[in-house]
Amino acid sequence: MTCIEANGLTKEYGAVRAVDRVTFSVEPGRVTGFLGPNGAGKSTAMCLVLGLSRPTAGTATVGGRPFAGLGQPLRHVGALLDAQAAHGSRTARDHLLTLAAANRIPAARAGEALEETGLAGVARRRVRTFSLGMRQRLGIAAALLGDPGVLMLDEPSNGLDPEGIIWIRELLRRLAAEGRTVLVSSHLMSETASYADHLLVLGKGRLLADSPMRAFIDAHVQPRVRLRSTEPERLRSVLLRAGYEPELGEDGRMTVPGARAARLGPLAAEENLPVLELANDEATLEEAYLALTADETQFAAAPSVLAQEV
Amino acid sequence: MSASTATAVPPVSADPVASFTAAARSEWVKVRSLRSSVGSLLAVVVATVGIGALVCAVDDGGGDSEAGFDALFASFYGLNFGQIAAIAFAVTAFSSEFHNGALRVSLTAVPRRGVFYAAKTAVVGGLVLAAGLVAGFAAFLAGQHLLGAKGLELSDLGALRACFGSAVYLTLMALFACGLTALLRSGVAVLSMLIPFLLIVPFVMGDLAAGAADYLPDKAGQLVLQQNPDSSLGPWTGLAVTAVWALAAVVAGWVAVRRRDA
Repeated sequence: MTCIEANGLTKEYGAVRAVDRVTFSVEPGRVTGFLGPNGAGKSTAMCLVLGLSRPTAGTATVGGRPFAGLGQPLRHVGALLDAQAAHGSRTARDHLLTLAAANRIPAARAGEALEETGLAGVARRRVRTFSLGMRQRLGIAAALLGDPGVLMLDEPSNGLDPEGIIWIRELLRRLAAEGRTVLVSSHLMSETASYADHLLVLGKGRLLADSPMRAFIDAHVQPRVRLRSTEPERLRSVLLRAGYEPELGEDGRMTVPGARAARLGPLAAEENLPVLELANDEATLEEAYLALTADETQFAAAPSVLAQEV
Repeated sequence: MSASTATAVPPVSADPVASFTAAARSEWVKVRSLRSSVGSLLAVVVATVGIGALVCAVDDGGGDSEAGFDALFASFYGLNFGQIAAIAFAVTAFSSEFHNGALRVSLTAVPRRGVFYAAKTAVVGGLVLAAGLVAGFAAFLAGQHLLGAKGLELSDLGALRACFGSAVYLTLMALFACGLTALLRSGVAVLSMLIPFLLIVPFVMGDLAAGAADYLPDKAGQLVLQQNPDSSLGPWTGLAVTAVWALAAVVAGWVAVRRRDA
C-alpha cells in the first residue's frame, strides 16, 4: 500500500518545535485534508516526509520506505510545495521536461500533464508571464507528471480563480477515486470541507485530530434542529417534557440543541402540532475546527492563567 | 493516468549510475532551456577568442624586442573575460536552485543529494570544458595568425599545453564558482566576491611574482598559458593549485548541500 506514514516526527528550529511528535498515516483512496492555521507546521511536516528537511526525531515513510530511498520518486510521489519554484525564464513545458528527464519519464507526459491542468495553450510561454493561478496549475502538473500513487499538495488552491477552485476539487476527488493517496494542506475550512474525506488537524506543531471529516465535525459540534411552529409555546413545553432545551426565537422559530429532525418530527406529530419548518442544522467544519482550537487554547493556557490575566 | 500505478509498490532504489545519468540529463535540459545559460556559454567562447584576437591584432605593430612579451599568452588575453562568463554560467546554474524553493522541486525528483550535486557539477563542468576547448584552440589559432611573423604554431613549445590548459583552467574556475555558490546559496554574493577579485587583484598585486600571490587560483592557473612562466610554480603545478582551490570549494559546497535543509 502506498500510504504516507509519520512516526513521532519532530522538527525543532532552535527552541521552537515546528513539528512536535506527530504520528499519522495517510491512506490511499481518499482525500486527506491537512488542516491548521498558517505556521502550524503543515509545510514543515510535508518537507520532512519528502526528505527535504532532516527531522530532529522520528521517521517518515512513503509506501513503507523513506522518500530519499525511492528510485525515480516522481513516479511514486507527486508534490506541490511552492508554486513560485519554477524558474521564471523557462517555459512551462521545459520546466516539466527538466523533471521528466530526471526520472526517465517520457517527454510526452509533459504535454499530457499540461493538458490535464489546462495549460496546454501556454506550454511554450515563459513562467515569468504566468499569474499565480497558472503557476499553481503548473505546480500541480509537475506533481501529476509521473502519474504517482501518492500526491502531496501544499495549499493547491492558493491563487486559483473560482473556476480553478472547482477544478481542483474535482481533480482531488478523482485522484482519490482512482485509488491514490492524496494529502492536501489548507488553512481554508470551507475549501477543505468541499473535498476532504479525512482530516489531520495540526496546531502549533502538534497533531490535534486524525479522524474522518464527518466524525470530526460530530465530535466537536453538537447537532441542532431548527424548527418553526404555529404554536411555539405548546411545542416548547412538549420539547421540555421530552428532555430538550429549546431556544425560542422570533416568529415561532426555535432551535433545539442536541436533537435530530428524525426524532422531533414524530414527536410533534404525536401532539398534533403543526410544524412549518423542520431541519437539521448541519454543523460546518469551521465550527468544529474553532471548537477544537478553543479547547486547545484553553488547555494550553490553563497552567499560566493566573500569571497572565488579560 | 492509470489507476494501476496508484497501487504499485515502490521498487527498490534505482542504482546510482542510472540515477546519475538521468539527473545529468535533467541538468542538461535545465541549461539548454535557459537563454541566459546558453548565452553565458557562448560568451565564454566569444570573449576569449574575440578579445584575444583583438589584443594580438593591435600588438602586431609593436616591437618584437618587447621585454617579457609572450606571444602565447597574448592570444589568451581574452581568457580574463572568458573566465567571467564561465563563472557567471556556473553561478547562475547553481544559484537558480536557491530561489523560491527551486531546490525542493529538484530534490523531489532527485532526492539523493549526492547524485543531484554530482550531476549538476559534472554538467556545468563538462559544458565549460567543451566551451573552453573550442575557445582555447580558436583563441590560439586566431591570435597567432594575427600576430603574423611572431605567431606560433601548435607544435611550438607550450602551445598545445596552453590550448588544453586554458580549457581546464576555465573548467576549474567554473567548478570553484559552483562550490562557492552551493556554499553561500547566493549568486549575487559569489559574483560580487569573485569578479572584483579576478579583475582587481591582478592589478593590485601586479607583478609581485613571488609569495602568496602565486598561489591564488587565477594567477596559478594562468601559468599554463605562458610560454615561459616566471613563477615559483610550473605550468602544470600552477593548474594543480587551481584544482585544489576548485576541489576545496566543491567539497565545501557539497557539505552545505548535504547538511542543510532544503
